Amino acid sequence: MHRGKVDGQPAYILHTYPFRETSLIVEAFSRDFGRVALVARGARRPRSPIRGLLMAFQPVELAWSGKGEVLTLMKAEWVGGQPLLGGHALFCGYYLNELLLNLLPREDAHERLFLAYAQTLRRFAEGVQEADLRRFEKALLQELGYGLWLTEDADGKPVAEEGWYAYEIERGPVRLARQGQSPLCISGRALLALARDDFAEPRLLAEAKQLMRALMAHYLGGETLETRRIFKELQEL
Amino acid sequence: MSVHNPGSLDALIDALKCLPGVGPKSAQRMAYHLLQRDRKGAQKLGEALLNALTALRHCARCNTFTEAEVCERCLSPKRDGKTLCVVETPVDMNMMEQTLAFNGLYYVLMGRISPLDGQGPTQLGLDKLLQRVDDGVVEEVILATNYTNEGEATAHYLSELLKARGIKVSRIARGIPVGGELEYVDPGTLAQALRERRGVER
Ligand SMILES: [Zn+2]
Repeated sequence: MHRGKVDGQPAYILHTYPFRETSLIVEAFSRDFGRVALVARGARRPRSPIRGLLMAFQPVELAWSGKGEVLTLMKAEWVGGQPLLGGHALFCGYYLNELLLNLLPREDAHERLFLAYAQTLRRFAEGVQEADLRRFEKALLQELGYGLWLTEDADGKPVAEEGWYAYEIERGPVRLARQGQSPLCISGRALLALARDDFAEPRLLAEAKQLMRALMAHYLGGETLETRRIFKELQEL
Repeated sequence: MSVHNPGSLDALIDALKCLPGVGPKSAQRMAYHLLQRDRKGAQKLGEALLNALTALRHCARCNTFTEAEVCERCLSPKRDGKTLCVVETPVDMNMMEQTLAFNGLYYVLMGRISPLDGQGPTQLGLDKLLQRVDDGVVEEVILATNYTNEGEATAHYLSELLKARGIKVSRIARGIPVGGELEYVDPGTLAQALRERRGVER
């Protein structure tokens, strides 16, 4: 649909990697065209003016044009307003990008997810809250159409605060007689809190984390994220 | 390449492609140049390569390339062993040396953490750095990794690692270049310089 020219497109760089002798392939997440792969010609030459702009976690405006399969990056402009990420926030940013690179299909627009991503990065700059990660994971699953059943159980009945559920992927929560042991066992209270984006209670946030981790692992098809591995190593220091 | 080259020519072109930024076309140009116009140079290049491969290894202390077990800089009595500057590459170390502003010693990581390229802390082999820091002389580690996301991620990981061992850690500053006019500074640098502004001493 966007073969031809695109200009002034709000975007974030997800990752770049070397291409041919002096170029880069830029994986960008754009507002109106979703994830696109662009060729930045000459971007690896020393003192290339565009190189410093192709930095992850910073809002940019991109212009590209393309015939056939290859889209060529024509321009990148700095937008500003987003402090650089450092420390733990930086690794959390990498986690978001790794999720998007693995789960977001190319050239499929997801404006709401784009806005959620931008908002999450802005919040990261003020210090990472666990709740921000959960909110983004939820937005990712919902926007990509993976489905997330939080207020109704698999039988179509409203989720009960005091109930216990076994969350079945692709089906939703199945009511249990009592608390179970599997990682996909979750309380009705936690499901409803997740639905409301209410992460005030640490116990419910921990339950939400466990559910999200299991769901991400499922949709990633068993692939272990590098960022997850580094989080673990950091915790063990 | 659909052209039928003699095997040894193809092998040479193929070997040259391992150089960074060299694709099939440049490799072919280089091969013809060496064979046709500079056979002496080619001989020298071949010998120098083999020689370097056998003679060079990583310095036991700073990890840069050296012919001895420990490099000259690490052995020099003129250097101050109390400060250790961590850089990503030998080129970065040479840049630091050119400043004439640092008289401590170095540790060269020979890489950086880049999660999305599958480069984690494990691949960096940080045990050697920890051993180096535990020599009883080092008091401060200066992190001089790049101011890219990857360099920052590396600096963060290292600072957590070293602080857990009670070592004083600092990070080189960033901001407006010396002699830089605001008019010509890129907005990203200017914005960060503003965020990281510091009080003026009276
Ligand atoms: Zn040395």
